[in-house]
Amino acid sequence: MKKLIIQSFTGVLLFFLTWFALAQINWVSIFNTDKATDKTEEKLGTLFWDIIKKTEKENKTSSVTATVDTIVNKICVANAIDRKSIKVHIIEKNEINAFALPNGHLVIYSALLANSDNPEELSGVICHEIAHIELNHVFKKLIKEVGISVLISTSTGNRNTEVIQETLKTLSSTAFDRGLEKEADIKAVDYLVNTKINPEAFANFLYKLSDSEKKTAKYLTWISTHPESKERSKYIVEYCKKKNANYKKILNTKNWNKMQEDLKIATQN
Amino acid sequence: MTQTSTFSYTPGEHEAEKASNSYLMSLIALIAGLPLPIINLIATLIFYIGNRKGTYFVRWHCTQALLSQFSMLFINSFGFWWTISIIFTDETITSKYIAYLITAFIFNLTEFIATIYTAIQTRKGIHVEWWFYGSLTNLICKSKQ
Repeated sequence: MKKLIIQSFTGVLLFFLTWFALAQINWVSIFNTDKATDKTEEKLGTLFWDIIKKTEKENKTSSVTATVDTIVNKICVANAIDRKSIKVHIIEKNEINAFALPNGHLVIYSALLANSDNPEELSGVICHEIAHIELNHVFKKLIKEVGISVLISTSTGNRNTEVIQETLKTLSSTAFDRGLEKEADIKAVDYLVNTKINPEAFANFLYKLSDSEKKTAKYLTWISTHPESKERSKYIVEYCKKKNANYKKILNTKNWNKMQEDLKIATQN
Repeated sequence: MTQTSTFSYTPGEHEAEKASNSYLMSLIALIAGLPLPIINLIATLIFYIGNRKGTYFVRWHCTQALLSQFSMLFINSFGFWWTISIIFTDETITSKYIAYLITAFIFNLTEFIATIYTAIQTRKGIHVEWWFYGSLTNLICKSKQ
């Protein structure tokens, strides 16, 4: 019996030791799995963005792009995020929506900018989307929705238009998993605090939009695809309480108002 | 890994064939059931049930073949579900995962070679006791006499 116990113990130990020893080797870099994923992501990002560029109108008004850029720059600097990795695009559309595409493309609809009462609210949404990018949620979602084989074949030249359109629709108008959304919210609060932006504005924005949700559901894509907005705003406020920081204004009111005026003009045209 | 020893009696030709088949069963099932590790276990279990009333030599080797599948079942099932989670959830391929696959492969290969060797030896009527499984089988499988 004693011999048996020793033998079973040795067997288990041998297995785990072999595993542990082999795990010391960086197999991921040997097999280049990271590189392959990065390349696929890069190609997919460009592919999706090209489609949006062709079908939608990009807003290139200097006051709008400068305002958004300033916010994104400040967030990136404060959180040590490579600014070049985030490619911001503003699309002229009356839907309140913002979404991330593979390879760091961040698409913001003009209605979202117009419906933000202050730069802090907008920063909250931007931080949330940057969090999705930084936490690699976009690619994870794609793998889950369409599968790795479709992604690789799409990125390597098999351009099935229907699949690409469907995938793009999934990215722009469906939420991530509940867990991933919460993770992005919490990360967004960290980003906001590091940038010295009061995260309560982000919670308020969610609360405000969820209140008007029923009235204009059609145009509130970002809220309707992110369920339980009130619950989210609640846990954001809870999380904020733990953080003690001195908050500052991220933009001056003059620039913000100028952007809002220009947005109104662009909508009228 | 394996140890040849003398059995309590010399098995007959028919017994040797049956005992050898219990190992072959797990080999065939291994090939057929590669993606689903449970198949190996089911195959050897069916063979074990079919021969549990057989002679001591046959019963002994059926038991050893069955027991040897259990540890492989754990190792392979873990690897199988880990792979599934990588394909269908947000798990990613890590060095730990690749190391696990290699370890599982080494253990499977060792078991595979040992199974072939034992199948050949038992066919000749030679009694082969595996490291750990042999002692465990001695504990479970007793002669009726």
